[in-house]
Amino acid sequence: MFFRMIRGAFARQKMKMLMIALTIALGASLATAMLNVMMDVGDKVNQELKAYGANITVVPKSRSVLDDLYEMEGSETDQGSYLREDELGKIKTIFWAFNIVDFTPFIDTQVSLPSGSEAKIVGTWFNHHMELPTGETLDTGIQNLRSWWTITSGEWLDETAQKSADVCMVGEVLAQNEGISAGDSIHVKTAAGEKDLTVAGIYNAGGDEDNQIFAPLDTVQALSGTDGKLTSIEVSALTTPDNDLARKAAKEGPESLSISQYETWYCTAYVSSICFQIQEVITDSVANPVRQVADSEGAIMEKTELLMVLITLLSLLGSALGITNLVTASVMERSQEIGLLKAVGATDGRISALILSEVMITGVIGAVIGYFAGFGFAQIIGQTVFGSSIDMKPMVIPIVIALVLAVTLLGSIPAIRMLLRLRPTEVLHGR
Amino acid sequence: MSVLEIKNVSKIYGDLHALDNVSLSVEEGEWVAIMGPSGSGKSTLMNIIGCMDKATSGQVILDGRDIAKESQKKLTAIRRDKIGLIFQQFHLVNYLTAVENVMVSQYYHSIPDEKEALEALDRVGLRERAHHLPSQLSGGEQQRVCIARALINYPQIVLADEPTGNLDEANENIVLDIFKQLHKEGTTLIVVTHDPEVGEVAQRTITLEYGKIVRDVKNATFQET
Amino acid sequence: MSKRSFFFKMITSSLIRRRSRMLVALLAIAVGGTILSGLVTIYYDVPRQMGNEFRNYGANMIFLASSNDVQLNAENVEEAKSHIKAGQLIGAAPFRYEMVQIHEQPIAVAGTDIEGAKATSPYWLVDGEWPAAPNEALVGKKEAAHLNLKAGDTFNMVYSTENDEVLESGETVAPTAKMTVTGILETGGSEEEYIYISTDDLEALTGSAGRIDVVELSVSAERDELEAYTQSIPAAVPEVTPRLVKRVTESESQVLTKLQALVLLVTSVVLVLTMICVATTMTAVVTERRKEIGLRKALGATDREIVGEFMGEGLLLGGFGGLIGVFLGFAFAQYVSRNVFSNSITFQFWLLPVTVIVSILVTGLACLLPVRNATEVDPAVVLKGE
Repeated sequence: MFFRMIRGAFARQKMKMLMIALTIALGASLATAMLNVMMDVGDKVNQELKAYGANITVVPKSRSVLDDLYEMEGSETDQGSYLREDELGKIKTIFWAFNIVDFTPFIDTQVSLPSGSEAKIVGTWFNHHMELPTGETLDTGIQNLRSWWTITSGEWLDETAQKSADVCMVGEVLAQNEGISAGDSIHVKTAAGEKDLTVAGIYNAGGDEDNQIFAPLDTVQALSGTDGKLTSIEVSALTTPDNDLARKAAKEGPESLSISQYETWYCTAYVSSICFQIQEVITDSVANPVRQVADSEGAIMEKTELLMVLITLLSLLGSALGITNLVTASVMERSQEIGLLKAVGATDGRISALILSEVMITGVIGAVIGYFAGFGFAQIIGQTVFGSSIDMKPMVIPIVIALVLAVTLLGSIPAIRMLLRLRPTEVLHGR
Repeated sequence: MSVLEIKNVSKIYGDLHALDNVSLSVEEGEWVAIMGPSGSGKSTLMNIIGCMDKATSGQVILDGRDIAKESQKKLTAIRRDKIGLIFQQFHLVNYLTAVENVMVSQYYHSIPDEKEALEALDRVGLRERAHHLPSQLSGGEQQRVCIARALINYPQIVLADEPTGNLDEANENIVLDIFKQLHKEGTTLIVVTHDPEVGEVAQRTITLEYGKIVRDVKNATFQET
Repeated sequence: MSKRSFFFKMITSSLIRRRSRMLVALLAIAVGGTILSGLVTIYYDVPRQMGNEFRNYGANMIFLASSNDVQLNAENVEEAKSHIKAGQLIGAAPFRYEMVQIHEQPIAVAGTDIEGAKATSPYWLVDGEWPAAPNEALVGKKEAAHLNLKAGDTFNMVYSTENDEVLESGETVAPTAKMTVTGILETGGSEEEYIYISTDDLEALTGSAGRIDVVELSVSAERDELEAYTQSIPAAVPEVTPRLVKRVTESESQVLTKLQALVLLVTSVVLVLTMICVATTMTAVVTERRKEIGLRKALGATDREIVGEFMGEGLLLGGFGGLIGVFLGFAFAQYVSRNVFSNSITFQFWLLPVTVIVSILVTGLACLLPVRNATEVDPAVVLKGE
């Protein structure tokens, strides 16, 4: 009989039940969408922050002094040591390999130009296609790591198309001073060799690089006689904002950590642990976080995540109240029916069970629909804003279920209690 | 002069003839009881007279005007001006006080007038309960508010649908006494009921069965008081 | 009593005497209003607040001398800075670079305003203390390793030029300063190769004052505004050429646009869903009153009058709920701002009418449909039980 009554309620009150289910679905979809977005927003924003370029630089251990802003140290002083090009692929084999978004090697040397002046030429990858030892492929290079460059004339050097050609890109300031334009051929000379390079494009970097020449890695290695050698590697990695543990490890060295702390640290994508892991695979290297990028990234990610958490809380609260409200409204509306049931001798417990079961069944249906709809909303947000899909977080499912159950219960109980207090005669004789 | 004249009215729902070629006329000041078992068509007849439903065929002449073919909107206006309704379940607006419930009727008719509404409540003996909410009134009191509301706009016909159906004997008598008083004052009363006691006190009793009038008698025991 | 005052009497009675149900409706509308005003406030505030966070990336504008013939000095830099809107300038650090000798080796020293550098480059990590007193120095990590210096050490800094005094013994005496290392600077960038001292110390050492090589500025403004400064400042102060640090400005506008789009989209999704929730609640509240609508019809109310009455209630509810929502929403936005950005926000007055109007519209629309539905039904059907 119990089930017959529930069935009856659903059949006769189709519209009403549909509306409750719809509201619960809406609330649940809101919760699902927001929770999914919230849990993924850190990663997404992190990806976006890659626009600031590398957050880790790797240099040879014994190379104590790099060229500085004002070219005070000649390239002669740092002939000491180099990184090995053949070890590059190992970066993608570290524990946090998955978090390495981009990495690009650099080799630089001084060249003399036809005018007699000297300039720094940097050999690097532009849009390098890599087959990794793991079988994956990776497209990386300074097209990704210098996203802020604008090409003022010509175009980006296409490494894959112009593999063997001697090509280069010239910084805007240098190009202006030397009267170089895109399509020109410039003659560059070093102690080890000389070459004619075709200028593929002129770029504006808004910094020191405007005084430099960028050319493919092989070209510069051939020019300076440093085959297979690198002066630095820039790595762009997705990292977790630093906490006390990470700061301790960075300051006092990983040796200072206890074994369990060390494991936590090693297995968390802190910038310091990724640096440490890179040092492990690249011989004689020192990997340092670029504080300007790494610190700011952490700060911005934390703020964004906190912001999303609060917005999510507000929307959870909103959907909870929305559902509670509707459930309350629709239970109260059934005063007559409850009066009748009481009049024919139903106990309070049985009436409550009846109404709660109805509401719960509706709630479950609504929650299931809502979960999938919400996941869809999350994807729309992900695609529109970040151009990539939002990961499905399994954790969201129990949260949404708990939320819907709690909220429907909270919504129905006060209303049921109120109705049970009524005397059947009052209700039946139209109050 | 007849205030209401029904000529050959039928109401057909699919195969069911709720009313089958019914004709009757009600004189001004007359007190008519329409009786019959459930499903005899008395509610349908009441709805047609009360301008809440339209006949499938036939003529309904109310106050000299055929309303059978009028639009819903017109019917609403006619009901407002000429009919006072009394329901079995009273149907008071539960968040308005007794006097306000009477005023609602004035409001839709013309202009709400609290003094007049209080006088109407006085006529049904509810002056001192005027500012109570329906939930604070007994069933009989609620029905008296309903009667006061039906009377407030001086309708040509007061139409009551099982007015005593939800009342105990004491309250039934109060309501019937009010009806007697109304009749004495010249109000046209049409009472739909299946309660013989209520039917007997009327001046004239019409009995419906299967959508047809089977009996239409002047009540011998009726006495003008 | 006039018709109008009875109208108000009816709708206020409906709101006041049906307390529990009206509270349900009011709560729903207030929640809707809260979400509307709260999220919109946050949406408008995010670029400003986040912009400040992005200043963590350091200088986004530098001042250079406009040609080799002119020099930056304290006066023209101050004047150029005065053209930046008040409140936008987070920090400015003038730099003057000199080569000095430490342990007979040439080392680059930068003289700067230490407080300014702290403000422009919040990412500088100092192991030890920032220099505060005269003759204190901040040493870049690489330079510290090179010279084997740590916090607390002292070193001699020699400024040697051709006009150094030559002693009878043939030795030259160059100006020398004894400096104390207060901290080691870690940035992961080229800053680690410098020693930073205060401008005053450097000027005392070199005996020449007033010269500035470059000024780093951290300005909290959007890219377009920054670009406008690169036009307006040289027009007013011809000695100064402002240049944008593209790496910072480009990336910032790119990321900020994304973030704002995120908040916008999230706000719209939340808003649409909340408004639907409000609408369904209102629908439930109104549907419950079908009987009353039937009764009013039976008493001779026209459809228009009934719709009018319910709209009147909706208007009152919507307005009141919206009003509550505006203030709760502002409180929420303020809470978010305080907690996330540790910054307070100003009340956007235009949100008050907007929220109230939207609440009224949503409430009205939500009532309209069920009321219209109810008016279409024959009163006889509604009143006959069921």
